[in-house]
Amino acid sequence: MNKTKRKILVVDDEITVCKSIRQAILSDEYEIDTSLSGEEALKKEDEKKYDLIITDLMMPGISGLDLLKNLKDKNAAAKVIMVTGYPTIKTAVQSVKMGAFDYLPKPFTPAELRSLVARAFKAAESEVKGERGIEDVKMPAGLYYMLGHAWIKKGAGGLASVGIVYDFLKTVGIVTQIELPKVSDKVTQGEVCGKITDAEKLSHRIWSPVTGRVVEINAKLKDDYSLLRKNPYAEGWLFKIEPTNLDEDLKGLVLSK
Amino acid sequence: MAFKTVVRSFLNLSLRFKLILGFLAVIVFGGLLSLFLGTRLEHRTIFSLAQAKVRHDLASAWTVYNERLNNIRDIVRLNSSRETIQKALLRGDKAVLQKNLDYVRKDFNFDILTLTDAQGKVVFRTRNPELFGDDQSRDPLVKRALQKQISTATEIVARNELLKEGANLADRSYLKFIPTPKAAARPEEHEENGMMLKAASPLYNERGAVSGVLYGGILLNQNYDIVDRVKDIVFKGEKYKGKEIGTVTIFQNDLRISTNVMDERGNRAIGTRVSEEVNQAVLREGKPWIGRAFVVTHWYITAYEPIKNIEGRTIGMLYVGMLERPYIDLRNSVMLTFAGIAALCTLFLLIMLYFITSTIIKPLRGMVVATNKIARGDLSHRVEIDFRDEIGQLAHSFNRMTEDLKRANENLIQWGKTLEKRVEERTKEVRDMQDFLIQSEKLASLGKMAAGIAHEINNPLTSILINTHLMLEKCEKKDPSYENLTLIADETSRCAQIVKGLLEFSRQTPPQKAKTDINELVDRTTQLLENQASFQNIKIVKNLDRTLPLIELDKNKIQQVFWNLMLNACDAMPTGGTLSIFSRLDDDRKYVDIVFIDTGVGIPRENILKLFDPFFTTKSSGTGLGLAVSYGIIQQHDGHIDVKSEVGQGSVFTLKFPV
Repeated sequence: MNKTKRKILVVDDEITVCKSIRQAILSDEYEIDTSLSGEEALKKEDEKKYDLIITDLMMPGISGLDLLKNLKDKNAAAKVIMVTGYPTIKTAVQSVKMGAFDYLPKPFTPAELRSLVARAFKAAESEVKGERGIEDVKMPAGLYYMLGHAWIKKGAGGLASVGIVYDFLKTVGIVTQIELPKVSDKVTQGEVCGKITDAEKLSHRIWSPVTGRVVEINAKLKDDYSLLRKNPYAEGWLFKIEPTNLDEDLKGLVLSK
Repeated sequence: MAFKTVVRSFLNLSLRFKLILGFLAVIVFGGLLSLFLGTRLEHRTIFSLAQAKVRHDLASAWTVYNERLNNIRDIVRLNSSRETIQKALLRGDKAVLQKNLDYVRKDFNFDILTLTDAQGKVVFRTRNPELFGDDQSRDPLVKRALQKQISTATEIVARNELLKEGANLADRSYLKFIPTPKAAARPEEHEENGMMLKAASPLYNERGAVSGVLYGGILLNQNYDIVDRVKDIVFKGEKYKGKEIGTVTIFQNDLRISTNVMDERGNRAIGTRVSEEVNQAVLREGKPWIGRAFVVTHWYITAYEPIKNIEGRTIGMLYVGMLERPYIDLRNSVMLTFAGIAALCTLFLLIMLYFITSTIIKPLRGMVVATNKIARGDLSHRVEIDFRDEIGQLAHSFNRMTEDLKRANENLIQWGKTLEKRVEERTKEVRDMQDFLIQSEKLASLGKMAAGIAHEINNPLTSILINTHLMLEKCEKKDPSYENLTLIADETSRCAQIVKGLLEFSRQTPPQKAKTDINELVDRTTQLLENQASFQNIKIVKNLDRTLPLIELDKNKIQQVFWNLMLNACDAMPTGGTLSIFSRLDDDRKYVDIVFIDTGVGIPRENILKLFDPFFTTKSSGTGLGLAVSYGIIQQHDGHIDVKSEVGQGSVFTLKFPV
């Protein structure tokens, strides 16, 4: 197949960050442009149709969210990754609901950036393919989830189950390792609650859909990762939590139908 | 206005003075009133009685006077009808007449006894037989007798006639005027005529014709029989303080000719004259006069009546006077008695008032003194109670009030002491709170900075991290720089972690409190802990008071605190131990205590003070924010965290939540 170079645009108001990001993902397969503002980015998008835009969330002028909206209008197929600082995690979660592919909290390592980019392109490919594989597991209704990430199901006794959505699984390779939180750990919405390492040695972070305290982890999953593929919504659940701010947190999630 | 000032100054006097003045005023008023009324009464009754008496006395004087007149008439008449006299007259026998008439004159004390013939010519004067033949027919009485009319009257007799009747008679009636103040002015300086009580009676011959007239009389001048007689009859010789009460006077014109009014030397005050006033009323107007008159030396209650002659002309006055002195003295003595009684009453009153007001003033003064003493702080002073009257009751009430005051004061002092103690306690609490707040402020300011710092730091960190990793990717493990770069990368990540921890710490949400059973929260947390691997060799002992009241808390945050403390306890007991958890109501019943006791390594004294400071940690992992966050959460619940620790023995963490 004629592999045209993927076009990537990096947007950040600090030139050092732009350069660093560029350096981290520099590759023959990518054509990487940088811009220092949202306005500039939009202009560039008009000129060139990008496949992936990596943009800072907090920028002077047009904010990251506005840029996201505009980009989605111009180029719905493009994947947008939001670069955030920890204070703005909530906004980052919101951005996923608005259509961002994922977000990347600062500071991050090149590896973290690369795995995210890999996932983004993998997702783009599967979308291009169009059909849903027969193996695709359909999400049951009544679950709240973060687009392309984790879901939460309300359970008995004020507890809830958390797991990953199938779309997320699709973007990773074969799971070689799952890292889960410990019982009594506190997880925060939008922050890491687990890691999945795939065969390509890329480590993908799972963002917790809600804030709460871990009360139980799926012991079976430790021994058998295939449970994930079988049904990430049922047997493949990751852990149970006691949410502390459920109603507020659900506002950032989408309800499955 | 002046009146008001007077009244005001009166009311400002002492009680005693007010009472005394008040009563005195009444007495004075009463006294004056009785005096006034008494005088009027006296005047009306006593003096009018006196005057009535004097009038009666005058009437009595007239009786005597007229009796004497009648007596003279009767004698003259009797003797005029004696045959002997008649015969002697006809013969002109003087010797017989002398023999028969002289003794009559002498016996009856006549001053004159004279016989005339039918023409009125004197035939025989018993007193002065040498003189005869003068014509007496013009004499009013003789004239009447010649007309067969017997008459008697008081008559003024001229000096020459008196001389005729007898020389010494003229002498007797010769009276030099003694100057009398108030008497009417008279040109004369003496009186030479006389005033006589005369009577004349005709003699008849055989044919019944008047043969002659016998007339006789008494010269009133210096003849004191009548006046003395009147005095004796009427006044019975009564004396008042050595002075005769009654006086009687016969006036010839306005001249005293016969009187028992005495002058200063004690002689009969003949020759003095009557006052102008009486003169006018009685002599000139012919009216009786009754009144108060100054007679020679004294004041008398007097009555004057005119003596009229046969023709009805006023020729003199008959006077009766009653010494006023007794009446005056009576009146005075009455008044004096009144006054004396009043004075005595006043004195008595003053004494009584003095004593009575003393009974009022003394306790009142005592109360004033007591008030001053009380004002100065001596609350044990009491007023003496003498009697059970209103003042006594007042004193009693006053004492009771003082008693109450004393008790109240003592209570106040007691309360003050308690207050002091409470203030001390509160001050300590406030100081603790201040320390608490300073701590919290540290944390708060930290939180504010955190978000800003994080944001700023993240960008440079990102650049460092990425580039370091990129270099690491290009670097070989053998390369000495590899270790350095790894170090740089790790430390940069650590920076990121610190920043993240800081952000988490500052991102604290306001607590959502609800009434919670804290024991249930403890149970839930321990339940979860039991599943933890690190808790496998730790024994958890719970001693929870199930009767604790519900407390307003944010369940999640408090659970976080419990987690924090329990995990710390766990970290302190790496080789195992016991974690005891107590819940109870504290002694004051104001706080619920949750106590976490571990048998761990303990905390050195110098660390205890820094325990709750952000980023303070003795562990190799962790941000050191756990206790700082817990402190903040407890602060949000208006509670306290207390730490006690012994190195090598363990630690006690006490959480206090207000009920």
